[in-house]
Amino acid sequence: MEKISFATYLQEKIDLDEKTIKKLYQKLTSEKHLKNEVLLKPGEVCSHAFFVEKGLLRLFSIDEKGKEHILQFAPEGWFIVDRSSMYFKETSQYYIDAIEDTSMVYINDQFLDFAGQKSPEFRKYNERLLHNHIRHLQNRINSLIAASAREKYQDFIALYPDLTLRVPQWMIASFLGITPESLSRVRRNLAKENFRPR
Amino acid sequence: MATKKIEIVVPPRPAHFVGDGFRVHNFISSSYRLDMERMDPFILMDYNSKFYFPPSETPKGVGVHPHRGFETVTIAYQGKVAHHDSSGGGGIIGEGDVQWMTAASGVLHKEYHEENFSKKGGDFQMVQLWVNLPAKDKMSKPKYQGIKNQDINKYQLAENSGEIEVIAGEYKGIKGSASTFTPLHLQNALLKEGGSADFSFPESYNTALLVLEGNVSVNGEPVSTDHFVLFENQGTEFNIQTEKGAKVLILSGEPIGESIAAQGPFVMNTREEIKQAINDFNQGKFGYLE
Repeated sequence: MEKISFATYLQEKIDLDEKTIKKLYQKLTSEKHLKNEVLLKPGEVCSHAFFVEKGLLRLFSIDEKGKEHILQFAPEGWFIVDRSSMYFKETSQYYIDAIEDTSMVYINDQFLDFAGQKSPEFRKYNERLLHNHIRHLQNRINSLIAASAREKYQDFIALYPDLTLRVPQWMIASFLGITPESLSRVRRNLAKENFRPR
Repeated sequence: MATKKIEIVVPPRPAHFVGDGFRVHNFISSSYRLDMERMDPFILMDYNSKFYFPPSETPKGVGVHPHRGFETVTIAYQGKVAHHDSSGGGGIIGEGDVQWMTAASGVLHKEYHEENFSKKGGDFQMVQLWVNLPAKDKMSKPKYQGIKNQDINKYQLAENSGEIEVIAGEYKGIKGSASTFTPLHLQNALLKEGGSADFSFPESYNTALLVLEGNVSVNGEPVSTDHFVLFENQGTEFNIQTEKGAKVLILSGEPIGESIAAQGPFVMNTREEIKQAINDFNQGKFGYLE
């Protein structure tokens, strides 16, 4: 995947001019984390959200049997955050780690306040982003409680088209809340229907 | 005849693992000045420099993955590789053998250390090269050319100083064993002590070499083991010499000159075609493989 710089993102999504972006950037830090690095773990308070410019992060929990449950993937152009931690200062019950070497921008409260003051467009966009996030969660809840394994997989590839090439099968199964065997069955059946060797 | 001068000597980048079975230095396309456009039609070269793998009951390798839009050329110098694909094809690439796989419209496969090699362990050395296909052939039918070492045509150098294995293209009248979609040369120079070989390629071709064993001098300039040499386009002739013996892979190809859109295992001409490839893969159109 191509890198998506936060500056380009702001320009394209909110149509901010360069001068405003330069101002906003004073309140931002960028970091690079290597594959497998953990950015947040249970018991910590995470005071920022991450915007992924290049690479891939995930938000997940681990149950008492040691099984991982993936709540969200964040490839290029996505935000990822534990909201209970960032906005309510609660200790987190989640992990965030890097699945690939990842370049990201750290976004904290002060930045959001500052950006909101400097740019009404940013404030409006940020509000829309929140609704977009809730829309995603709404669809995800519906999918988890009502959809078949095949429908869940179809929703997944519509949302994250290239992740099937970037993450192992078990992570996709974990995200979908189905067993890896069930995911294999779905993919095998799709191949049976659609594979026409030439 | 004008000498083809060295443009740059590229040392190996830090190695990384592809799956758990291939410890490779990438030269094309992530090294400085070895991007896909400059190296056209060669769009990737991963080099597993000689590396000892201890015995393993479970063969190490790289799991199921697709390809579309190009050819993969695997040259096994030491160790053996087994492969399987979703059409039921499979085979073993033995020491000195070459597998020329035309992924074209799509192959879903996996590559592992061959079972016996894995159990015994040993030195492993190989090159995987990706050769781009022109737009008109990108969606053609996939095929394999499994070329055993004994079937690779060879040119004997004068004074018993070594031989040239002509994998593809031509060397002094000896034709290559593999068929290619666009004009290109791929050759192993196996030079004995004091050996020397001359090469000649058109200026319009992109030309390079990789030193696999020993130290050589190229047009009189020393080049060490595991180093990659990119030649200038200008000039046609160059010479490789060695004091103590050497093995060198030489590649030269006519640029295809089309736009390149690449993501992971897909190399097409446009972003739209990449999106289509990802979608086809997700929908099972490359088949299924455990």
